[in-house]
Amino acid sequence: MSVEIGGIGSSVKRKEDARFIRGKGKYVDDVKLPGMLYLDIARSPYAHARIKSIDTSKALKIPGVAAVITGKDLVPLNLHWMPTLMSDKQMVLPTDTVLYQAQEVAAVVATERYIAADGVAAIEVEYEPLPVVVDPKKALEPGAPVLREDREQKNNHIWHWEVGDKAGTDKAFRDAEVVVKQDLYIPRIHVASIETCGIVASWDKVEGKLTVWMTTQAPHAIRTVIALVAGHLGLAEHKIRVISPDIGGGFGGKVPVYPGYVLAIGASVLTGAPVKWIEDRSENIQADSFARDYHISAELAAKKDGTMQALRVKTIADHGAFDAAANPSKYPAGLFHIITGSYPFQKSFVEVDGAYTNKPPGGIAYRCSFRVTEAAFTIERLVDVLALELKKDPAALRMQNFIKPEAFPYKSALGWEYDSGDYGRALKLAMDTIDYAGLRKEQATKRAKGELMGIGISSFTEIVGAGPSKQFDILGIKMFDSAEIRVHPTGKAMVRLGVKSQGQGHETTFAQIVAEELGLPVGDIAVEEGDTDTAPYGLGTYASRSTPVAGGATAIAARKIREKARLIAAHLLEANPDDVEWKDYKFQVKGVPAKTKTMQEVAFAAYTNHPQGMEAGLEAVDYYDPPNLTYPFGSYICVVDIDRGTGEVKIRRFVAVDDCGTIINPMIVEGQIHGGLTMGLAPALYEQITYDEQGNIQGGNFMDYLLPTAMETPNWETAKTTTPSPHHPIGAKGVGESATVGAPAAIANAVVDALAHLGVRHIDIPITPWKVQQILKANGAAE
Amino acid sequence: MRFEGTLDIAAPRDRVWAFLTDPKQVTTCAPDVQSLDLTDPTHFKVVVKAGVGPIKGTFNMSVEFIDLRAPEHAEVLARGQAPGSAVEMRNTMDLVAAGERTTLRWASDVTVNGMIAQVGARLMQGAADKITQQVFSCIQVKLESPASAGISANPA
Amino acid sequence: MAVETAPAKTTTGQKLHRIHVVVNGAAHDVDVEPRTLLVHFLRENLGMTGTHIGCDTTSCGACTVLLNGRAVKSCTLFAVQVDQASIATVEGLEKDGKLHPIQEGFHQEHGLQCGFCTPGMMMTAVGFLATNPAPTELQIREAISGNLCRCTGYVNIVKSIDYAARKLREPAEGKAPDVR
Ligand code: FES
Ligand code: FES
Repeated sequence: MSVEIGGIGSSVKRKEDARFIRGKGKYVDDVKLPGMLYLDIARSPYAHARIKSIDTSKALKIPGVAAVITGKDLVPLNLHWMPTLMSDKQMVLPTDTVLYQAQEVAAVVATERYIAADGVAAIEVEYEPLPVVVDPKKALEPGAPVLREDREQKNNHIWHWEVGDKAGTDKAFRDAEVVVKQDLYIPRIHVASIETCGIVASWDKVEGKLTVWMTTQAPHAIRTVIALVAGHLGLAEHKIRVISPDIGGGFGGKVPVYPGYVLAIGASVLTGAPVKWIEDRSENIQADSFARDYHISAELAAKKDGTMQALRVKTIADHGAFDAAANPSKYPAGLFHIITGSYPFQKSFVEVDGAYTNKPPGGIAYRCSFRVTEAAFTIERLVDVLALELKKDPAALRMQNFIKPEAFPYKSALGWEYDSGDYGRALKLAMDTIDYAGLRKEQATKRAKGELMGIGISSFTEIVGAGPSKQFDILGIKMFDSAEIRVHPTGKAMVRLGVKSQGQGHETTFAQIVAEELGLPVGDIAVEEGDTDTAPYGLGTYASRSTPVAGGATAIAARKIREKARLIAAHLLEANPDDVEWKDYKFQVKGVPAKTKTMQEVAFAAYTNHPQGMEAGLEAVDYYDPPNLTYPFGSYICVVDIDRGTGEVKIRRFVAVDDCGTIINPMIVEGQIHGGLTMGLAPALYEQITYDEQGNIQGGNFMDYLLPTAMETPNWETAKTTTPSPHHPIGAKGVGESATVGAPAAIANAVVDALAHLGVRHIDIPITPWKVQQILKANGAAE
Repeated sequence: MRFEGTLDIAAPRDRVWAFLTDPKQVTTCAPDVQSLDLTDPTHFKVVVKAGVGPIKGTFNMSVEFIDLRAPEHAEVLARGQAPGSAVEMRNTMDLVAAGERTTLRWASDVTVNGMIAQVGARLMQGAADKITQQVFSCIQVKLESPASAGISANPA
Repeated sequence: MAVETAPAKTTTGQKLHRIHVVVNGAAHDVDVEPRTLLVHFLRENLGMTGTHIGCDTTSCGACTVLLNGRAVKSCTLFAVQVDQASIATVEGLEKDGKLHPIQEGFHQEHGLQCGFCTPGMMMTAVGFLATNPAPTELQIREAISGNLCRCTGYVNIVKSIDYAARKLREPAEGKAPDVR
């Protein structure tokens, strides 16, 4: 590592900060074009209703209203439905039935934001309410109202998916000495990035070109989707330009295509003017893709001595009205089968059934790789249930069972090949950092005095970096990613990527990878992403895939350049290329330290004095198809104190030991972990979206949907171990989401641990003061 | 949500009945009525302004007398919408005569959808209590005041 | 296309009000609709898009600006309410090419990721540090508890504000590093 160049391993301050701290970031809502119109959306107050009529006449009379679009208007264009990423389809605007509250019903386009809202208020819709189904278990019962009349299959079952050895697992359970079983509900939550979703669509009729600025984590995939969905209207992929400008947080919520985007594009084509749509926070939470909503029933079979043997999991996945999850095509339940976690189960069987309900569609991640949090939470909770059953210390039980370091690469019972890991080392470091033994003593003393204190552990294994093309695609597009590097004559470089930062600091970290590989100072390397007209094709940033996939592409593209540069250096040094080596960020004639050429010198020569017979220039592209996924891991320990009067859970300390392989920028990695931990805390104690029997959303705005503030968030303590990925070009594994995956179980385990002596085995998250108080009251432990 | 109550009115049952089943009269006691439009003797439309907590809206209500058994039992169905919200109310009233006085037993089943239900749900009880109190004290005042003695028992 | 269209008109039927506001030291006399929110006035009328919008319930603080020196949520004020007032936004923090200590703090302590909450956070902090130049960690946390950040987990934001507090207390010391 070289501090001067700012390569891999240095805490380079972020380049992108310069504009953000000056208020000069350019987010979608900052785009303003001449003659731009504003779009606003009328939404259904009912969760399930027949639309009897829509009267737009009053809206159209409002001065400034340019157009009103209803589902009927989209039928002739065949745009009233659109495909989801999961071989389902979704309404853009309904023609006869609405299936969830806040569903889009009509759009108004007007000269000003406020006038568009006036237009929405003036639209009159007559509804006939229909029976509402909010509980996915009831939705799957025979005789339940069929929600999706458009499907041939006349029930609410979407799909069944299973993996593992069913017979072998069942046998292991029959023969087991100990079986523990736990039902868990992982509630519906929302990523709620502080920037909501939005688009500016600008259709140039003369050129036949569509330009959109859009809050998307995957601009290239969006371009292809637009071409596929609207190709019949004359939108061709070479004339579609998707720009993903600065993005105010994504976390998975900016992967799907929402009806508002389609409506804005349609409205721009219709009116010939640029059209902007920016959703409100309430619309964002109420109608955009949710995360989680898994009803899980999990069983673990073990020996009396604590050896874990088999795992059996049955799950109902609530997908709302359409299956609009953002998963790789082959995996309708994402990578949920990482559920064997850090433990060498011999046998395992997992099945998931998807159900339709009268709720908004989705099933996206919430800062996690495809259902990995659901998996990690379940197994880490279940291990604690087993510890209670066997009266074993949860840390000791984990240590006893972990997959051993020498077992890697490790093939899991459900078919994954873990790349590398040392789980015991991470847990030991966490225990030492927090003084686990001391805490257990303190807890015993406090318990004797009637005080409630708990210690919770989570030793999770993540699976990220989707993914190898043999298994992973989205809508058939393989999940590679790309980098294009150009070194200019003066030795400055431009890097363009197929991924897209939403705050992760790509402009800095990807420049660091190139700096490391090419020996150019990080300040001389510009990184550009998010413009499909200039960047190479890539699948985007989500599921912690940027570093594992695009990071690999960047390193390899840089190495291609370095190889060509070596030939040029040999030419300049008048040496045989075989005698020229890359040493201390320079080319050097082997054994002759005085004879060197810098990358800058080589770059200049590549344009001014390149060897005859060689192409001029110094650039390379790489499309990286990862050979395997990466498996970051960590051990978290959380200490909570519970107020016996209010039931409030206070996190006293939280130590997070993460292992994400090679670290490019320790400062940025720590920041990612802080953020991830806070998004792990959120669903553990605060966030949840529920629905009443009529399908009314409870928790549909920031007054009711409780994001942690600085007051609830503890002072996170972090530490690390480093176990590089053996198959990744720089050994990195990805880290953006680990903490969100690992933290909820640590917190829930701590709360249950504090109450275990009262007979408590499990509490569903979010663990609100009310729930805790009920438990305390029921056990006579309330103050 | 169900709301109910009993009210003792110092007026004869026929007069109370006439008042409560006459859209023109009864709506004088509804809060913030913007307009009233009689379709036929058992159907009318009324526009009211109402709010729960931070959510306020103008509701277009269609009201229908679905069961009228003079002078003791009436059932009214009211359905309405404001932008982003919808409400359905099923109201019953039973009148019991006690000499020159009348006991009114009323119940209202309310279903709300949309914004009001999301944001206002936990404020509904309070808001409903306040509105019903206003409505019934208005009814009481109007029926018990000497001027109302002349109100026709058969307005239609 | 089967979409009904209406004649586009620019008038809204709303009466316009002339307001006089000083924003970051520059005076503006602008006609606004009475219903125009301050945040939209700043972003749309004045084109100053550094102030952001993150919610519709006065919960997130992304829109925070200083009104006569006090931090306020500009999504919850009408532009007409700030007639004759002085407003400070993120665009005015840097003076003569020199970053404000709060900007420096956020950069040095990695107090931002996506940057969306950052302008509001910084304005809240500036308003707060004017009233409490030497805050404790808990006081800083309280001060920003009306500002939501989804990316950072607040730890580094607290450090950034502490950095600025220290820097503001010792104004003579050191030269601001260049952030470019
Ligand atoms: S936009 Fe003003 S508080 Fe959220
Ligand atoms: S930095 Fe993204 S919301 Fe704060």
